[in-house]
Amino acid sequence: MTALIQSPLIQLSGITKTLKGQDEPRTILSGVDLTVHSGQSVAILGRSGSGKSTLLSLIGLFDRPDGGQYILGERDITKLPERKAAQLRSAEFGFVFQRFFLLKHLTAAQNVAMALVNGQGWHSRRKRKAKVLAALDQVGIAHLAKHKPPRLSGGEQQRVAIARALVREPRVLLADEPTGALDTETGNLVVDVLLSATHRGCGLVLVTHDHDHAAKMGRVLSLHDGKLA
Amino acid sequence: MLSGKLRSAVIIGGQGIRARKLRTFLSMISLFMGVLAVVTVQAGAEIAERALLTDVELTQGIDGTRAMYIPDNGAAIVEDTVRGRKDAVAALNMSAIIGEPGVRPVNEGGMPFEYAGQGRGGPRGYKWCDQNGCYGAEETQAPKPDGQAIEVRLYALTGDVRTFRPFRPVSGQWLDFASAPAMAPRLVLNREAAKGLRQYHVPAEMQVTGASANMTPQITGVVDDGGMEPAAYVRIDELRTWLPSTAKQNGGQGGPGLQLLLSPGTSDLEQTLRARLVGLGIPADQVQAHEIDSRSRMSSQLSMMRWIFLGLAALVLLIGVAGILNVGLATVGERIEEFALRRAVGTSRMLLAGIVLSETLLTGLLTAGAAIGAGVVGLKIGSQIFGGRHPSLQGIEFPWQAGVAGVIAGLVAGILGGLIPAIRAARIPIATVMRA
Ligand SMILES: Nc1ncnc2c1ncn2[C@@H]1O[C@H](COP(=O)(O)OP(=O)(O)O)[C@@H](O)[C@H]1O
Ligand SMILES: [Mg+2]
Repeated sequence: MTALIQSPLIQLSGITKTLKGQDEPRTILSGVDLTVHSGQSVAILGRSGSGKSTLLSLIGLFDRPDGGQYILGERDITKLPERKAAQLRSAEFGFVFQRFFLLKHLTAAQNVAMALVNGQGWHSRRKRKAKVLAALDQVGIAHLAKHKPPRLSGGEQQRVAIARALVREPRVLLADEPTGALDTETGNLVVDVLLSATHRGCGLVLVTHDHDHAAKMGRVLSLHDGKLA
Repeated sequence: MLSGKLRSAVIIGGQGIRARKLRTFLSMISLFMGVLAVVTVQAGAEIAERALLTDVELTQGIDGTRAMYIPDNGAAIVEDTVRGRKDAVAALNMSAIIGEPGVRPVNEGGMPFEYAGQGRGGPRGYKWCDQNGCYGAEETQAPKPDGQAIEVRLYALTGDVRTFRPFRPVSGQWLDFASAPAMAPRLVLNREAAKGLRQYHVPAEMQVTGASANMTPQITGVVDDGGMEPAAYVRIDELRTWLPSTAKQNGGQGGPGLQLLLSPGTSDLEQTLRARLVGLGIPADQVQAHEIDSRSRMSSQLSMMRWIFLGLAALVLLIGVAGILNVGLATVGERIEEFALRRAVGTSRMLLAGIVLSETLLTGLLTAGAAIGAGVVGLKIGSQIFGGRHPSLQGIEFPWQAGVAGVIAGLVAGILGGLIPAIRAARIPIATVMRA
């Protein structure tokens, strides 16, 4: 592993989260510690319902933890107000989900551009086009830019989603079971595409059930009883 | 920074509308009816108000004016008292025939020329009597031949009546009360009388029952007095040269002969006149002045009507709002994942709510535009179709108030219909995208 001089990209310590269950509140995370450096990849395994998605939603600032500390770069963002969180989601994070979540009435290029057209700063049409094409090229589907999702295969759709996650050149890539809906071969391809982003210094957190995919990551952790080990 | 937000909003909103064209269109239809109802009521009310209120002061007198009807036997004393005054004007009215003597006027009875030839003339052989004898019977025997003459209502004025009834000048000069009286009485016609004169080329000779001879009037001008029937105005002193106040008048058909108009704040004069009239033996209750309030009465009735109709229109509009709200909520329900995703990629809550609101707002405004357009076109077609039958509908312009009301209705509907969906959209948790 490369020696790192910089401070870590992500530093979680003692993160707790309780969600309101149907009957009573349920503690999902009870003291999660996690450090991710830039260019590093981490796999998170765990059985269904163990809280992997919940953890990812805290890292990606979809939600805030109940306790613990979250430091991004050198900044404590444990109690970040929503408006600032939206800015960071736009600038620092890229997300990939199990279901691809592409808008079917938009083309692949427009779906990717969605991350640029979000009210956070403004890129001219030409600049948007260049960035979108570069991102599509990075995942190897620049030729499908004008296609709408219903005409794309599952693997191609997931690669459009990855391009959408990469188009703003984020520092952290968060993927929640991105291969869950794909066959093995396509899944392998998608994991390779995600991994290639770390070569440019991006941190990657991959939640997966697939041990082969996990093995490709720099570290493999497991979420169990609300703790990461 | 703001422009980035705004431009993003335009793109996202545009994509949303384009993806649901049919639905947007359908939600516009119900709203369209509502806005159209508001526009129609406002336009109708404005037009009615303009048609009724503009002329009411011309025909009835300015609000606040005090009006008194003087029985025939009091006419002379009133005429004497108010002569030369500016704050009180008496108008003696009678029938006059302008044109060939001894013929039946084209608009017998002094009706508008539209009905010329259908003369009121009454059933042939009609005969009426009073204590002075019987009239009309001879006519049955020898009906007057039809000829080049028109019948007008002649108002003989002691002063400038425009203080109380602000006639609009049309052409020529109004009566000059300052100059010495002329032998040939000067006449000012209303538009209808001028129309008759133009149409029938009648000679300038005027007959008034009871006059010592036929007069040769000089017509000095035309005014719009708001009336539909032909009328002429003359200085009473110029008329008196030919028609002594002692002359017997049959003119007062359908109304008392002398009307007195008084400015507000002339109660001394009013007291004096009443005392004198009562002194002549006229019962006090027959010389009551009343204050003219036609305009304010009419406008309060009109505004009550307008509010009733606006209430109905608001109900229709409410249905439109319910429609747009329904569509808005359904759309947000359908777009939960899209909104969660947009927030995941960094779109702020406020911007998202703003986009949803502006989508409905835009729908509302477009609908308002369409409804106003329909109103303008409808009015144009309507005035062309019915303008011939109802002259007051000719050349009517779409009142801007109706346009403003339509835009406001569209805005209100957009806000009411879009606010709840916008709030819902802003509340969607981002984690929705992970729990599918
Ligand atoms: N919005 C929510 N409110 C309450 N409980 C939730 C909510 N979302 C998920 N949970 C519960 O939290 C637990 C963890 O969910 P999740 O993080 O999605 O697990 P994983 O991704 O590991 O399958 C599950 O038991 C789930 O039922
Ligand atoms: Mg999950």
